[in-house]
Amino acid sequence: MIKLRFKKEMQTPRGKELLDLDLSIPSGEFITVFGESGAGKTTFLRILAGLTQPQEGFIEVDGEIWFDSLNRINRPVQQRKIGVVFQENNLFPHMTVRENLEYSCGDKSALGTIDEWIIAMGLKGLESQKPDKISGGQKQRVALIRALIRQPKVLLLDEPLSDLDMHSRLNLQDEIIKVYQKTRTTTILVSHDLSEVFKLSKKVFVIDHGKITKSGSPQEVFVNNDVSGKFKFTGEIIEIHKDGVINILTLSIGNNVTKVAASDEEIAGLTIGSKVIIAAKAFNPLILSRL
Amino acid sequence: MNKLTGQVTLIESSEHMSIVDIDVDGDIFSAIVLETPASAAYLKQGGRVTMLFKETEVSIGKNLSGLVSLRNRFKGTIKLLEKSDILTKVILDYKTKEIISIITTRSAQKLGLIIGDAVEWLVKTNEVFLLKER
Repeated sequence: MIKLRFKKEMQTPRGKELLDLDLSIPSGEFITVFGESGAGKTTFLRILAGLTQPQEGFIEVDGEIWFDSLNRINRPVQQRKIGVVFQENNLFPHMTVRENLEYSCGDKSALGTIDEWIIAMGLKGLESQKPDKISGGQKQRVALIRALIRQPKVLLLDEPLSDLDMHSRLNLQDEIIKVYQKTRTTTILVSHDLSEVFKLSKKVFVIDHGKITKSGSPQEVFVNNDVSGKFKFTGEIIEIHKDGVINILTLSIGNNVTKVAASDEEIAGLTIGSKVIIAAKAFNPLILSRL
Repeated sequence: MNKLTGQVTLIESSEHMSIVDIDVDGDIFSAIVLETPASAAYLKQGGRVTMLFKETEVSIGKNLSGLVSLRNRFKGTIKLLEKSDILTKVILDYKTKEIISIITTRSAQKLGLIIGDAVEWLVKTNEVFLLKER
């Protein structure tokens, strides 16, 4: 169990705001922290990682106290057993993929697992490449292995997929799910991508102006349950094509891409990248066959 | 998306679904939902609800005679027609509101629709979404 409560003054584009959080995360859970930029998501991760110190508070991870302002306890980053993947991978450019991984192993025991990880993450054949010779998605796979290889207690993912194109993003989401199912590492993902939140996490905390405003399953938090539609999904608009009096929208929903016809009035104010809920009556969908 | 608000006048439920009658300025609409008053708070006799239905689910009838199974059948006047190759958008005056229907251009031509036509517009009960008034 991770128990956190702390206060930290943040500088935001709107001026000074107080990040004031109090939450518990059961061990082995995959949770998302969702919010607009400047809401305090990254500060939250930095405080947990020990990169930023709160004014006051308490952090306990699986019975170990990492921070306690009353008793002046503040474990340094190296002693916190965390793995972090940032939006921008910070692989060493002069080292190969394998060297980057070896460097992060720390002790010998992890070294033996490098090959297993390389195969599991589809990086076989790229071990001797330097980071600038591999794709953005592949770099983030290396960064993910690097974060996990020392078997951290907590994996922190700070918008690790937001710089990737749609295809790589969907692939890497699948990899993250696979790795989580394999290791069951307590994972905290920071994201402002709704479809990602729905796909990856069972529980989401919404942070707004430094406070948690909502928490629960993505369905509970984001889907307006007042609507009677039973066939309801959250997705992102990838393309909008106008064809006569109607518009054809291409949407990414989970790991599927779908098309929906919509009137001008229905899509007023929406652009590529907008997050939408699409709904149909439960009577409409056809059941074609089992896969 | 068409949107109309009215008052629930009747709810008929089975174990898992309900057919709901909604009064909009004297016209009675019907919607069928996989909910019952026990599962959805907005299903309340006398309560206010909003109905949503897609433009492409609204049919247009002119000089309709005989019987049709559609229960939602109301009078409107064509205010505007926007034609494109395949589809035509028909904007109707309905009471104080606008209802939009998108039908095939072939149908619009076959019906000889013109601005000012008095027509009937129809929508199936299982195409109407219900939600708390908004």
